[in-house]
Amino acid sequence: MTVDLPALEQTAASRAASARWSRVVRPALGLVVPVVLALGWELVVYLGYSNGRLVPPPSRVFETIVALAKSGELSRHILATLWRVGAGFALGVIAGTIMGAISGYWDFAKRLLDPTVQALRAIPSLAWVPLFVLWLGIFETSKVALIAVGVFFPIYLGVTGAILSVDRKIVEVGRVFRLSGPAMIRRILLPAVLPAYVVALRVGLGLGWMFVVAAELIGASEGLGYLLLDGQQLGKPAQILAAIVIFAILGKLTDWLIEVAAAPLLRWQDAFGARGGA
Amino acid sequence: MLALKDVGKTYPNGVHALERFSAEIAPGEIIAIIGGSGCGKSTLLRAIAGLDRATTGSVTLDNAVITSPHAEIGIIFQEPRLLPWLSVADNIGFGLADLPADARRERIAAALARVGLSDKAAAWPRELSGGQAQRVAIARALVPQPEVLLLDEPFSALDAFTRRDLQDHLLDLWADTRPTLILVTHDVDEAVVLADRVLVMRPRPGRLFEQITINLARPRDRKSELFDTFKRRVLTALDRSLDRSVRDVTDKSSAGEAMWW
Repeated sequence: MTVDLPALEQTAASRAASARWSRVVRPALGLVVPVVLALGWELVVYLGYSNGRLVPPPSRVFETIVALAKSGELSRHILATLWRVGAGFALGVIAGTIMGAISGYWDFAKRLLDPTVQALRAIPSLAWVPLFVLWLGIFETSKVALIAVGVFFPIYLGVTGAILSVDRKIVEVGRVFRLSGPAMIRRILLPAVLPAYVVALRVGLGLGWMFVVAAELIGASEGLGYLLLDGQQLGKPAQILAAIVIFAILGKLTDWLIEVAAAPLLRWQDAFGARGGA
Repeated sequence: MLALKDVGKTYPNGVHALERFSAEIAPGEIIAIIGGSGCGKSTLLRAIAGLDRATTGSVTLDNAVITSPHAEIGIIFQEPRLLPWLSVADNIGFGLADLPADARRERIAAALARVGLSDKAAAWPRELSGGQAQRVAIARALVPQPEVLLLDEPFSALDAFTRRDLQDHLLDLWADTRPTLILVTHDVDEAVVLADRVLVMRPRPGRLFEQITINLARPRDRKSELFDTFKRRVLTALDRSLDRSVRDVTDKSSAGEAMWW
């Protein structure tokens, strides 16, 4: 017993150390390369080896962000973009989920609808832009529609695939316990489909951010995409980089929101359990 | 009383899996169905469970014709088939959704204690060993207290020690409420240690070949000579069932008759 005790303490201590390692050090490792590059470039400009006009140093990008924020411009642009992504994403998710569920659940509907959806999917979504502008005008509606189209396909495919790959052996357990149709959906199908659905949502959201840029480059008077275009036309690379940085932050943040919201529902999965709070 | 009358099954692809299977099974009786591959054992069990409909004949439980899953018939599959998103306790309580929460919790706790997994109540299925998972599956099937429990090669995926352990455990649990057990197996040892009656089937198409009554007192000693005698009898029947020149015999008493023909 007296021999065991120090050994136990030691393992506890080393476990705490390894927990600290996985919580702090490992994510921090990913920051090394970008931080070194940024600081390096900052130094190069500071020492006068480059004027940093076309590739502004981080400090200048940061100044631009602060200036935009102070003037109130930044929040206006961010809100405009967030609204478009939010509306387009919501529409795409609703349509994709309903259509995907019908196609996945009902074989006849799959035969009827799936070929058309697959054919439409083969069209590069940006090809819709001129048509949407003609149909829906140059303002918000056409932008939201374009984003919704981009979001729709990964959601549709994800839902259909997830339903088709639900383990029939598990469904049979539901049959043995004589679940009604709605109970079968609520107690077996939904939880079985959920992991793949969360992945589809995240892919869809990524595409939503991609398409909002395209939509805002078409013609917008506000939004982060407008900042990009404005920066190009007026020769303000710092503003372009500022918009890019904000896109990156917002994209990562919204993706993280989905992950966090879904995590309690997916605790039973191996992968999520192992990753914990990472 | 579970009555199987001329149960037959031909699949849509033309495979004739089961032909005119008849048997009467008394409440509380333990039946083992044994036979080579393709003799329709699982087909028969699925027909009794109401998962697949027989193409001919009928399955009746206390005068109710079984055409779909029935509240009084539980089934345990070869794999545990636990729902991975439910805790062990919620898996066991899966069939008790209609019960008020208190009664449900009580029944689950009792079942967990009965299968010796009280400490795993909050665990996820993925955290269980194969034997533990199958015990949860047994508890899940037994907790609604069915009149008939069907088992489709329930221990075949487990190692020999765990298998023995679970066979004894199953008998223990059976003694609580004494449901009718119908066990499909390909393990002669398992059949003789568990069953009151062993039904030997023969393949292509699957049909009943011979019935052997195991009138050994429980608990049965796997090492006794009498146990060996019964094992040898089942093995002999199995061998003969695969020999196409031998005609069907449905009862031990009629075996001589069939051979004499």
